[in-house]
Amino acid sequence: MALVEAGLDRPRWLSRWTQEHLRVLFFSLGKIARAPLAAGLTALVIGIALALPAGLYVAVSNLSRIGYSWQESLQISLFLKDTVASSRGEALARELRNAAGVATTTYISREQSMVEFRELSGFGEALDLLQDNPLPAVIAVTPEPRQSKAEVQALLERLSSLPEVDLAKLDQQWMERLYAVLAIAERAVGIIALLLGLAVMVIIGNTIRLDVEARREEIEVMKLIGAPSSFVRRPFLYSGFWFGFGGGLIAWLLVAVGTALLEVPTAELAALYGSNERLIGLSPRDGLSLVLAGIVLGWAGAFVTVTRRIAEIEPK
Amino acid sequence: MTELIRFDQVSYRYPGGLDVLSGVSFEIAQGEMVYVTGPSGAGKTTLLRLIAALCRVNRGQLVVMGQNLATIKPRQVPAFRQRLGMVFQNFNLLYDRTVFDNVALPLVIRGYAHQDIARRVRGALDAVGLLGKERVLPLTLSGGEQQRVGIARAIVTKPALILADEPTGNLDPEMALEIMRGFARFNEAGVTVLIATHAIDLIEALPRRIIHLEQGHVTDKRPRAASELRREPMHGAG
Repeated sequence: MALVEAGLDRPRWLSRWTQEHLRVLFFSLGKIARAPLAAGLTALVIGIALALPAGLYVAVSNLSRIGYSWQESLQISLFLKDTVASSRGEALARELRNAAGVATTTYISREQSMVEFRELSGFGEALDLLQDNPLPAVIAVTPEPRQSKAEVQALLERLSSLPEVDLAKLDQQWMERLYAVLAIAERAVGIIALLLGLAVMVIIGNTIRLDVEARREEIEVMKLIGAPSSFVRRPFLYSGFWFGFGGGLIAWLLVAVGTALLEVPTAELAALYGSNERLIGLSPRDGLSLVLAGIVLGWAGAFVTVTRRIAEIEPK
Repeated sequence: MTELIRFDQVSYRYPGGLDVLSGVSFEIAQGEMVYVTGPSGAGKTTLLRLIAALCRVNRGQLVVMGQNLATIKPRQVPAFRQRLGMVFQNFNLLYDRTVFDNVALPLVIRGYAHQDIARRVRGALDAVGLLGKERVLPLTLSGGEQQRVGIARAIVTKPALILADEPTGNLDPEMALEIMRGFARFNEAGVTVLIATHAIDLIEALPRRIIHLEQGHVTDKRPRAASELRREPMHGAG
């Protein structure tokens, strides 16, 4: 009889751990695959729940990007004092090009200002009646891109304190409004993501709860022969893993399809505003983060449910 | 001989119920073959459940394989049960898994490597005469074969103690005798075997020690001839 064989070697810890987890990983996948319709529907619901905040995130990211690109077209106008000579104005424009936070400068003399104003304003004949040119020389300063609002404000204050400058002006009210709207949108995306994340946990938890009930006798047998809770729990956690993984992939796919469908009309809209901006979807890193979020939510939802349910099941 | 199980004035009462066991005391040494007998409701199954840490004594001391089960912590219970082999009247098999997977389960729980599992499962199935049925689902087997799968699962970890609760309760007499002889062979190989049974006829011809229970009390701790018990009422599991 084989019962009293000499003791067998116990496997090494790493090999044992790896083998067991791989076994349960694919065992859980196999169980899910045996009911593909039900599993597919569950993953689809999770995918839709994850796609909503992910899609909103894409929308807000694109708006932020457009906002930044508009910020690049911001200019600070330095109206010079009438006493500043043209040569000094040109020299000052050259000096400011090397100043911190400044990308480019353009000097516009009083005469150039008059020419432009005459062309653009339609008051050419009225201007002929004036004896002197009332327009000041201007240095148009373009700040370096990607600066914060505070940095641009500091630059403005620094430039306005120059002795040659009579008035420094930056029209950024529209930008502040845009950023305020984006801040609200980002907060809303966070809240929606939190709520839908909880929904994903509930969906997966409920699916796992039904699975635990269906396998109640199996759990009792396992406990009878000495299975610790971690062993009993493991296949359900991996089920949660697979549901979250599948849901994350579906969410990524849905956002990618949505982005592709909106890309052409968005480009056409941007062209109407003279912009060549394009809609940008989830990056590979964002997509992987979405799948990872699905996995974490799936695992957590399964863990909360299965831990409580398994503790209630004891062998008869 | 080394003491394997010690009941010392053990009492047990189901929550809200009557005393099932009351002041039970006995010892079982390593390598013994012991039958627990008694009429229905005498406390046979409860006695085995206490040994398997499926319930906890209310009073007294119960020490099994050096583990005091009166004070065992819940987190220690799985590791303790892994040291036992258990056989049940209703087999308690997983019917959506093959014979191999059922027998392998205790080894998988204990984290054995695949090659060790395969070797041990084949050895256990060979011991119960089921070698070659590894890929079969239990439902395609007869009751006797299913019970032998359960026994293979119990012995595959080479436990020091096998507990069997009415292991022949669902089998015909011929198969039941074969199962009992199998337990006797395991015992000859050095395993302590404790069987709760009311099948007195079956054990009459086998080497034995009997612990007889009546209304939760041990009435005779000495080995008794089965013929003495025949006159007593026996109606299924205790």
